[in-house]
Amino acid sequence: MPAPLLDALRGIVGPAHVLTGADCAPYVVDGRTPDAVAAPGTKEEVAAILLAAAEASTPVVPWGGGTKMGIGAPPPRLGVVLMLKRMNRLLEHEPGDLTATVETGITLSALQGELGKRGQWLSLDPAHADKATLGGVLSSNAAGPRRHLYGSCRDQLIGVTVITAAGATVKGGGKVVKNVAGYDLPKLFIGAFGTLGVIVEATVKVRPRPDADRLVVARFVRLKEAGGAARAVMASDLLPSALDLLDGEALRALGQGRGDGAALLLGVDGIPEQVEWQCAEVERLLRPHALVDTRVLDGDERDATWRARSGLGHGAFPDTAAVMRWTVLPAQVADVMEQGAAVAQRAGVVAALAAHAGVGVVEAVLAGAGFADAAAVVGVLNEWRALVRGAGGQALIESAPLAVKVAVPVWDDPGPSLRIMQRIKSQLDPNGLLNPGRFVGGI
Amino acid sequence: MAADLDPTRKKTLRRELEGMLGKGAVLSEPDELLVYESDGLTLFRALADFVVFPTSVEQVSAIVKLANREGLPFVARGAGTGLSGGCLPAEGGLVISLMRMNRVLEVDYDNQIAVVEPGLVNLHLSWAVGPKGFYYAPDPSSQQACTVGGNIANNSGGPHTLKYGVTVNHVLGLEVVLPDGEIMWLGGRTREAQGYDMAGLFVGSEGTFGIATKIIVRILKQPQAVKTVLAAFDSVDQASEAVSAVIGRGLIPAAMEMIDQTTIEAVEDAFGCGYPRGAAAALLIELDGLRHGLDAQAERVIAACRDCGARDVRVARDEAERQLLWKGRKSAFGAFGRISPAYMVMDGVIPRTRLPEVLRKVSEIAAAHGLRVGNVFHAGDGNLHPNILYDPRVPGEEARVVEAGGEILKVCAAVGGSISGEHGIGLEKMDYMPLIFTEADLDFMRELRQAFNPRGLCNPGKIFPSRKACGEAGIAYRPHPIEEKGLAQRF
Repeated sequence: MPAPLLDALRGIVGPAHVLTGADCAPYVVDGRTPDAVAAPGTKEEVAAILLAAAEASTPVVPWGGGTKMGIGAPPPRLGVVLMLKRMNRLLEHEPGDLTATVETGITLSALQGELGKRGQWLSLDPAHADKATLGGVLSSNAAGPRRHLYGSCRDQLIGVTVITAAGATVKGGGKVVKNVAGYDLPKLFIGAFGTLGVIVEATVKVRPRPDADRLVVARFVRLKEAGGAARAVMASDLLPSALDLLDGEALRALGQGRGDGAALLLGVDGIPEQVEWQCAEVERLLRPHALVDTRVLDGDERDATWRARSGLGHGAFPDTAAVMRWTVLPAQVADVMEQGAAVAQRAGVVAALAAHAGVGVVEAVLAGAGFADAAAVVGVLNEWRALVRGAGGQALIESAPLAVKVAVPVWDDPGPSLRIMQRIKSQLDPNGLLNPGRFVGGI
Repeated sequence: MAADLDPTRKKTLRRELEGMLGKGAVLSEPDELLVYESDGLTLFRALADFVVFPTSVEQVSAIVKLANREGLPFVARGAGTGLSGGCLPAEGGLVISLMRMNRVLEVDYDNQIAVVEPGLVNLHLSWAVGPKGFYYAPDPSSQQACTVGGNIANNSGGPHTLKYGVTVNHVLGLEVVLPDGEIMWLGGRTREAQGYDMAGLFVGSEGTFGIATKIIVRILKQPQAVKTVLAAFDSVDQASEAVSAVIGRGLIPAAMEMIDQTTIEAVEDAFGCGYPRGAAAALLIELDGLRHGLDAQAERVIAACRDCGARDVRVARDEAERQLLWKGRKSAFGAFGRISPAYMVMDGVIPRTRLPEVLRKVSEIAAAHGLRVGNVFHAGDGNLHPNILYDPRVPGEEARVVEAGGEILKVCAAVGGSISGEHGIGLEKMDYMPLIFTEADLDFMRELRQAFNPRGLCNPGKIFPSRKACGEAGIAYRPHPIEEKGLAQRF
């Protein structure tokens, strides 16, 4: 890395907030170590860093909690890692407006804690809330089970402040819940993995915390029946906040069962009368679907079960070989899961599969060391991708060792629209310095 | 440019377009074109060289390619119910009407999605899926006429967006014709597509990124039960406070609309919908969802309204009464027509907790210009629609309306709001954009437009402030560049 840039970074954020050499070890991605890690404390510092890096033609990689850094092709070069966790203030929260404006380095759990003091929450519940930052959640379009009712990042984010590749500060959207002035820049930055700019502030919609909140765990003899039950729930009047479908291995990872059967996890929240009614109605509706039993969880047990479910990618097995994310049509989830499980079984690999059944997103986790060699893992991932594509969906490798990533593309081919994505990238980051080489189509 | 197209060339192009689309699908005579010279905002008028009516994506693509070859600007048009001049042919050229592409192509109830053409009338989608217990949630007040394609361009809202979100929250995928004529899909049937959220970005781009030719939307199950509450207040302040009080009790109603005294009287005179005459303001609050517990929620709403001093609160007894109450809300604009020769509907957004002070300022501004204003708006979203009543025959009155409108937008911007909640920027508000965006913000958006629309032929002259207006935001009246060129007039 050019010495003048290192001096500039130290000048901008202070020497104590710049790491180099061996201190950069926690920021290694796919075997590459960054030249330096800089931790700005203000958006002005972010802008100054991006400007300095642009002048030195050095790439910049935004970094929040690091929980999603496994997603992406192996980086050609990391350059400067922009560690944003010092920017963690809640800037505005007006409960009556149901909005909050936040610096994006705040962890999701810290943000929920702040909002909770005034009886509200941000309705996003991705994994690792204690580590994941809001900026990372938005940039990776992360969501959790409650996406079923409350939607994903694009339904909550109403305004952004970003620093562009050239170091300019740009606002999009606003602080009000309804706004059509100008292009919808918040949409552009969600799931963009920092390739178009660094989100430094975000305004989100928040909601009142529900009076009552339960988790119904319904176990079934087989995945097929559980899938039928999920479709029955979708076709009914029930309004669960979450509708997750787990196979036997995923259920075992939650400490339930011996690896067989299947389960539905239904979130039920709202006012007490409605929660009571829904819990009873779920039981009645599911009974004809070869239901084994249901349990209604509340309090710590509920939270622990959701946490284990969300952490499946890391927690399912003592060692994980790879995690893949499939997006398919909701009605196909159970079929695709069954076929995916059969693929793994044929290859002699253990897999745990869990889905947001109403949304059509499946998390497929392959057990690691002791179960599978790299060739078997590569074989299964390739077959899975073919399966998902055959069902009209897409598959993304969320985490895998370098040896696997080299053999299996991380992203699917997004089709002809890649060309317009590339035009956007070259228009907004002409020198390709923002998190380069990791995103779809080499962006 | 329209003014530059010589008659011989125009004749040749007409023949070529007719060859492409068929004889009844091309208009080019001035008297035929008149119908398409403005949208719902009659303040602006502009004539196209051609209005064309394609029936397929291939035809749309061929038209766009022809426009590119000729260097002619083009703009897509739905039902023309827009309120910001967004579909006007600001610089001449072609208007591409999508009204003949109006089919529901497919409904997939298992996956709760529908594939539709852009010219489909919004309400017709709910009609199509209604028998199976579904509906399409975004419900702009013009939903009996406006098209889904137009809703895409403007990211349209409606009363029920408080709970269900705006158009973009319901769009999964779009087949589009890009400004160079290329056909491609953005997003698709599944809830996620790898790469940037192109469909999300396209929605609300006001026709400047291309033309949507197929639209995949989510359809929702109709709620099990609905309850509608009407609360009357003796002051606008009380009604405004009740809006926040309802939210403060942990409720997100499906809709929360405010109707002020001027509007109540107009609506009652016109339709007799049972609104409380003499009240300074009324709130129309709708709750929906599970039947069980809905009464308990209604009780909370009623208590919140009473705490804020509501003088009268009632719940619609049956569906007929509920429909009547909504008729009053949705027909308010028509009712204004009976008490005033003309009115101009404004569209601004504020944080809902600032409603009391902003509504006071709105009436002060109107009074200062000697104008009357009727408010009927989405109070739960903080989306104001002050309707300024005026008489265009009185010299100078219209200029005062435009001036008052600009001042209202400034107030919205000053309290941290936006200059448009659902009507779009179009021609109407381009020069107000600097009230809420810096030059850097606007430059970034221009770069984005460049990626889609590098030649600038696709709906030019919209959204962005005319260059000379930069830095002097909110000047009430200034001739638009197209007026100066004699291509359009402001009425």
